Parts: sequence; structure tokens; C-alpha cells
Amino acid sequence: MFGRRNVMLALLALAAIAPPFANGYQIFVGNLVLIYILLSIGLNVLVGYAGQLAFANAAMFGIGAYTTGLLQVHFGWPFWAAFPCGGLLAAAVGTALSLPALRMSGLYLALSTLAFAQATQWVFLHWDAVTFGAGGFKTPHLSFDPIPISKPLGLYYLSLILAVLLYIFARHMVASRVGRAFVAVRDGEVAAESLGIDLLRYKALAFGISGLYAGIAGGLYSALLNFVAPEGYDLFQMIIQKSTIVVGGMGSVAGSVLGAAAIILLLELLREFKGVQEIVFGALLVGFVLFMRGGLVSVLQRYVRGWDEPLHAVKPRAEPAPLPNPEPQTSPVEK
Amino acid sequence: MLLFSYLLMSGVTTGALYALVALGLVVVNKATGVINFAQGEFFMFAGFVAWTLHVQFGMNYPLSFLLAVVVGFVLGALTDRIAFRPIDKNDIVSLVLATVGISFMLKGLARVIWGGKADYLSFPPITSPDPIMVGPIMVIPQQLAVLAGTLIIMLVFAAFFRLTRAGKMMQATADNARAARLVGIRTDHIYTLAFGTGAAIAGAAAVLTAPLTLLYPDIGFTFFLKGFAAAVLGGLTSLPGAVLGGLIVGVVESLAGGYIHSSVMELSPFIVIMIVLVFKPTGLLSFHKARRV
Repeated sequence: MFGRRNVMLALLALAAIAPPFANGYQIFVGNLVLIYILLSIGLNVLVGYAGQLAFANAAMFGIGAYTTGLLQVHFGWPFWAAFPCGGLLAAAVGTALSLPALRMSGLYLALSTLAFAQATQWVFLHWDAVTFGAGGFKTPHLSFDPIPISKPLGLYYLSLILAVLLYIFARHMVASRVGRAFVAVRDGEVAAESLGIDLLRYKALAFGISGLYAGIAGGLYSALLNFVAPEGYDLFQMIIQKSTIVVGGMGSVAGSVLGAAAIILLLELLREFKGVQEIVFGALLVGFVLFMRGGLVSVLQRYVRGWDEPLHAVKPRAEPAPLPNPEPQTSPVEK
Repeated sequence: MLLFSYLLMSGVTTGALYALVALGLVVVNKATGVINFAQGEFFMFAGFVAWTLHVQFGMNYPLSFLLAVVVGFVLGALTDRIAFRPIDKNDIVSLVLATVGISFMLKGLARVIWGGKADYLSFPPITSPDPIMVGPIMVIPQQLAVLAGTLIIMLVFAAFFRLTRAGKMMQATADNARAARLVGIRTDHIYTLAFGTGAAIAGAAAVLTAPLTLLYPDIGFTFFLKGFAAAVLGGLTSLPGAVLGGLIVGVVESLAGGYIHSSVMELSPFIVIMIVLVFKPTGLLSFHKARRV
């Protein structure tokens, strides 16, 4: 009754029917949620399934937005040609980023991708001739010409269609051979390799898929705001995206949907208070990591039928090795 | 020549500060095996605390320095209790996300407390701001003060490791945590001490830096990345390596900024981190066994 399929279909029905009755701001927020669902699913494939702790997703998001916007501004391309290019370029950069990932794991991967994200920011800020520097630029107005639909509604439905398609794609992918390979890489690289899983191929694939999702989301975001500037794709953007998967549930596509919706609504409530937003999102990360490692979806999995994803459940927390810890005879270090 | 000597001098000064941040990272990494992503925010927060004490409450510089270091230590120890001790040590994703979360909480807190006053707070210089000429080299007294302060901190730190009981326990834990536990060292306390010490060093670095630069809530991340670049250059577990790495990053960045373009300075940590991690992950000072990164 309240299983995942029914809930998701109900949410989809609501998302499809509600907009004509909603006001402009509600449509904007709804569209934002759809964009973050795309971002969150892509990031979850990379971090939650393939176990690659990368911090470059906000940079991919920016690459998608900048490519889509700049191709329209500099070359006069229509949105419909520029938008796929943004997605593809982000996917290509993401795939290239998997090369260092082959030699690094864990902390080192996190830091080198963080440095990469910072370098992307630098390019956005300082390559003035192309990116218009810190001030950003306005993108041309998007029109859905032959179809008689206003821009906000049209963009909303475009985002909805893409989100549904890419959600279905991700659900099928993680349940396939590819998804199982990702989980194997996450749970043990050596074991995965000894089972014949090509690490290079699957890591590149995970990075590429998350880049593609982020690039598509970036193109939609640039059209939604009609404006692209570097600060939209900075560290804070990264923390928002990380929060969506941590809150929703790592290693769960449905969790990404719940997390993105929860985080964007919270973000809108706290709009105008950047300091408070940072405190709240930081606290959410720490709180969920400490007390609800599996995210919201783990609660649903425990108490509601029909939410389990047996193969891809988050790795259960390993019991700490029972080390003897006798009271030391000598004085402890601090009193 | 004047330009070169000026760039070299300012490179060594900022390099010394990166070295301090790197030292803090290495102390934590050596003892616990994790990178503390909140290190830069300890730096920023302690700097703001010192600013409040010194500028708003009119406390003298040495006293506000000491209190800022204490605040740094407390923040570090709290981070250990909140974001390291309760978490499964094999779960790298959780360990990283928890310290990232702490770093954002501190940043937001600083923005809420100090952000309303001005975007950038300036810290009054503790020496005269006029440059003096030593032979053909132009020196700003504040730079000398920073260098002297850095040197003193490093010496105190080395003495702490070599001579005190707590320092030796930290070394033993870093060498082999299980063996240290077997001989009766409470490794949990050592981890707290390591986090606290690392943060205290960052705090000291912040109070030394503050008179040279401006304070703003986002300063921490820049210093964290550059400190990490320095630490990685030195091999991540070597204390002398961290110092050398910091000086190299500082000087190279300053020369590149002077002769190429000032915006290149912000790119230096990325280039250093990528090159070192991809091509020589053991760093400059460790020549033996390859390490899995």
C-alpha cells in the first residue's frame, strides 16, 4: 500500500497535475526540487553505489550550466542544441576525473576532487573573455515555440520528464550487472577485481554517469534562473548536494528523491540566512552520519513494507573489533 | 632584485603559515589516519576569537594569542568527541562527511556572529607597518614577527614530541596503535589530544596571520587546501616534510603571483596536489616503501 512504487507513483501524479494550479514561486521551487533530484541521483550512483567519495559534483553542475549558457551566448546556438552538449561535456570531464581516482581512494580522492572543484571555480572566475568572470552572465530567454506553453511551466515539465526518465534509468542500472559491479567496487576493490570486474571501466562509468546527471541538471538550472555566475557552483552547492544523499539515504535511488525534496524545502525556508543555512546543513551531515547512517530511506525500510533494496542496502556498520581495554595502571595523559 | 627579494620574503612568510596549518593536519593524520577537513575552520574561528578579544575587548596581543590557542584546542577536542570517536574507523565516507559537517557549522557560526559587522575584518598590526631595508632586501617587520612566531611554535612542538610523556605517547600511538594500547596507553585520549593539538597549532597560525591579512569566514578553506598541499608534498606523515612543503608552496605561489599573474596564486594548491598525488604519492621526504593512497 505504502510501498515505494505506490508512493513514487503518487508523488509523480501530484507533480504532474499540481502545476497549473500553483503560483509562480511554487512552480519555481518544484522545478528546483526536480533539478536536485537529478543531481542527487547522479551523486548517489557515484558515492552511494560505487563508493567513490568525490567532491566535484558541484563543478560538473557548473560545467553543465556554463556550457549550456555560453554556447547560446557566444555562438547563438538554440537551447535545444546547447543543452545536450552541456550534459555531454560534464560527462566527459567526469570520466576524465576518474583517472586520478584509479590511483587514489578514500581521503585522497576526496581532497584531489575538492582541489579540482576549486580549480573549476578559478576558471569560471578568471577566464573573463569567455565566462564573463565573477559577475556572471544572463542566458537568452527560453521559448517552447511550437508548443503553446509558458516558459516556467514548459521548463517544469521538461525537468519532470527528464527526472522521471533518468530515475527509471538509474533504478534499472543499479539493479543490473553494472550496479552490482559498482557495489562490489565499493565494498572491496581487490575482491571486485578478482571477480573479473574491470576497475578502470566501472570507476570511469560511475564518474561519467554522475557527470552526465549533474550536467543535465546544470543546463536546466541555467534556464531556470536565466543567469549563470560562479558562486552558484561553489563549496556550499557541494554541501547541499552531499546533504541530499546523506539525508535521503546513500545507496538508494528512491532515497535521493526524498533527500532532494527535503533539502530544497529546508533551503527555501532558510533563504536569506546564509550563516544559518551553513550551520543547519553542517549539523544535518554530522547528525545523519552519527545517528541515521542510512538516511530517511532506512527508516522507511525498517517500518514500512515494500521499501527494501536488499542488494544495495548501505553497508551495515561493522562492529568494532572487541579489543581488550583494561584500565591503565599508569596515569592517563590528561587529567 | 628588489621585486624578487620582496616576493621571496613574502613567500617564506606565507609559506611558514601554510607549514603551521600543514603541521596541524599531519599531527592528526599521523595519530588517527584521517584528514581533518575542519582544520581550516579552526584556523578561521580562532582568528575571529583573537580579533574579538584584541580589538573589541582591548586585551593585549599575547594574551589574546594564548586564549585563541586554547579555543582552538577545545574546538579540536570537541571535533574528536563528536566527529571521530563515535564513528566506525573503517567507514571513510562517514569520517570525511562528519568533519566536513563540522567545518560548515563553524563557518556558519562565524558568519552569524561576525559576518554582520563587515565582510572583511582587519586586525591591527602589532609592529610598525613600514618596510625596513636590510642590505638590498626589503623586509616588513610584521613578516619577521610571523617568522619568529612560527619558528617558536615549531620548536615548542618538537620539544613537546621529544621530551614530554604525552608527546612520547602520541608518537607510540602513531607508530602502532594496538601495541600502544597493549602497553597501557589510552589511545582514545591520544586521539583527542592529537585533534586538540592540531587545532591549537591552526589557532596560533591564525593569530600570527591576522595582522598580515584580513579575516573573513571563508578564509579557512583556502588555508586548508594550501596546508593540505603542503602536507601532501611532505608525505602527509612527516613533520619536517610538512614544514618544507609549506615553504615550497608559499615561495612558488608568491613567485608565480609576482611574475605571471596574481590570480595564479589561487591555483597553486590544485596543481601541487594533483601532481604529487598522481605521480609521487609518497611525498618528497619519504623515499622508501610505496604507500597505497
